[in-house]
Amino acid sequence: MSEIEDSVMIEIKDLKKHFREVNAVDGVSIKIKKGELFSILGPNGAGKTTLVRMLTTVLTPTSGDAIIKGHSILKGKDEIVKIIGVCPQEITIYEVLRAEENVEFVASMHGISRKEAREKAKKLLEKFGIAGRKDWSKNFSGGMQRRLNLAMALVFDPEILFLDEPTAGLDPQARRLVWDFIQDLKKEDITIILMTHDMVEADSLSDRVAILDQGKVIALGTPTELKEKYGSDNVLEVSFFEQDDLEIAKKNLEQISFATNWKEISRKERNILLISFQGGLKILVQILQQGIINNINEVENMKFRQNSLEDVFLNLTGRRLRD
Amino acid sequence: MTLLDNKAIQISIKNLKDKLRHWQFLFFSLLLPIMFTVMFYFMLGNEEDPTGRTGFDYGFSGMIMYAVGIGTMNAAIMFAQDKKSGMLSRLDTMPTGRKNMFLGALISESLYLMLQILIMFIIGYAILGLYFVNPLALFIGFLITVVFGISSVGMGIMIASVSKTVEIANAFSLVVYMVLIFLSGSLMPFESPIVYFLPPYWAKQLFLQLTVMGDGFSDNLYSSSLIGQGAEAIPITLWGGFLIVCAFTIAFTLLGILLFQKKTKF
Repeated sequence: MSEIEDSVMIEIKDLKKHFREVNAVDGVSIKIKKGELFSILGPNGAGKTTLVRMLTTVLTPTSGDAIIKGHSILKGKDEIVKIIGVCPQEITIYEVLRAEENVEFVASMHGISRKEAREKAKKLLEKFGIAGRKDWSKNFSGGMQRRLNLAMALVFDPEILFLDEPTAGLDPQARRLVWDFIQDLKKEDITIILMTHDMVEADSLSDRVAILDQGKVIALGTPTELKEKYGSDNVLEVSFFEQDDLEIAKKNLEQISFATNWKEISRKERNILLISFQGGLKILVQILQQGIINNINEVENMKFRQNSLEDVFLNLTGRRLRD
Repeated sequence: MTLLDNKAIQISIKNLKDKLRHWQFLFFSLLLPIMFTVMFYFMLGNEEDPTGRTGFDYGFSGMIMYAVGIGTMNAAIMFAQDKKSGMLSRLDTMPTGRKNMFLGALISESLYLMLQILIMFIIGYAILGLYFVNPLALFIGFLITVVFGISSVGMGIMIASVSKTVEIANAFSLVVYMVLIFLSGSLMPFESPIVYFLPPYWAKQLFLQLTVMGDGFSDNLYSSSLIGQGAEAIPITLWGGFLIVCAFTIAFTLLGILLFQKKTKF
């Protein structure tokens, strides 16, 4: 076993994977702590799946190494596969097996006895809302299949869980269910590596985020740190029925120290004022308290658009995550 | 932990469930050979030779090899499917081990082909009343067929290794299987040196001479699938033929496993 800090569960050291002329992963180095929910955020083709395939020992790196709980991915595959659960991006289930048969099969591959596997599968499928289905998995909806895909990765209580786009293609309700479940897992001290191109998912779930682009880590930190460092200002959007009210608000803004910038726009015959500021909700409250709407007849609508990881990616690369 | 908790056994149980729940698969592997058997029975079952045996008594051994040879397609499709669906990669992230995957596949395929042979035996011997020398000869014939069936599985794994999609594996294995069955003279008599390079000929000839002709392992094999006019003894005994079947099986299985490993380990 390599000597690593106790709290570090995964240490990725200058990991590279080249496919002919393409550098799919190009010198990634990251340390992931025990119990951390670490997201790797990047657009399609950024190298996320290649990275996870190397970390899960399916793909051999061109160079570099990763140490997972003290075991090298190059030499310690047998030990690593005992502690990792993998939920791949594609739905990989046996279609003519029932949900519990799929989960029990994975459990048996981890050396769990059939009796224990049955109990675990039952509990897990109940939690995911797919218990009691007697038909084959191929008849399930896409959302149910994806939940089954995830349940299969969890049946043996892994210490490290790799989730590759776990909510891709899910409806909002099913997505919320998976997110809640991931948050529950965090409480159980499981180290979770989440690969996603969904900025809301990364932002709301992660302890830390690495932004991957063209095989390289271009930013690393907590979502708040990244947004503060690379993001845009937050924006308060206020729309007025009357142009006069907008003019009063502009005058009021001159007295408000927190607003960094503002501009007037017209959208669908509405008078809108976009107010940019740095900081979170606390600053927003202070802007409101300092009297932005003093002497105003009526406000039609008010929206708060928070600086997101999408802005971070846009500012770093000049592209959107979904481009 | 019991034997049933063993990973290879669990894989084989999963494979068997997978097979038995696909009606297309059941049609091709069980129903089609039965249909051919009944059809050939009505075509050849009335032509008796001086010993009282019908043309179909001689031809049935080839029908059995035809049924079991479908293992080539079964294995090709199964392995290609696991490769393409990502299930193989997923299994690689578990403490399963390729050893257990191959062992599980061999167990399930062997059990399934035993089921195929038993069904063919029931149709042929119990229902259609075909001739056989004695139960012991039939049992030895059964074992030879199982060994040949495993060689078909090995061939299927080889095809899966080089096939990029399930559809290609399906088409490629069908072509290989048909060529093997027809060029080996299993379904129709085919007098050509080519037959000696193909495993179905040896398995079929052993089965035929043991169960219908009543030959022993020290007797010589014949060149023809239908013993009679034009059939000539070749300088290889049934023992020798059995060793050749075993050699094909070992070679195909090992080659299949090695090729699959080479093509799927990155």
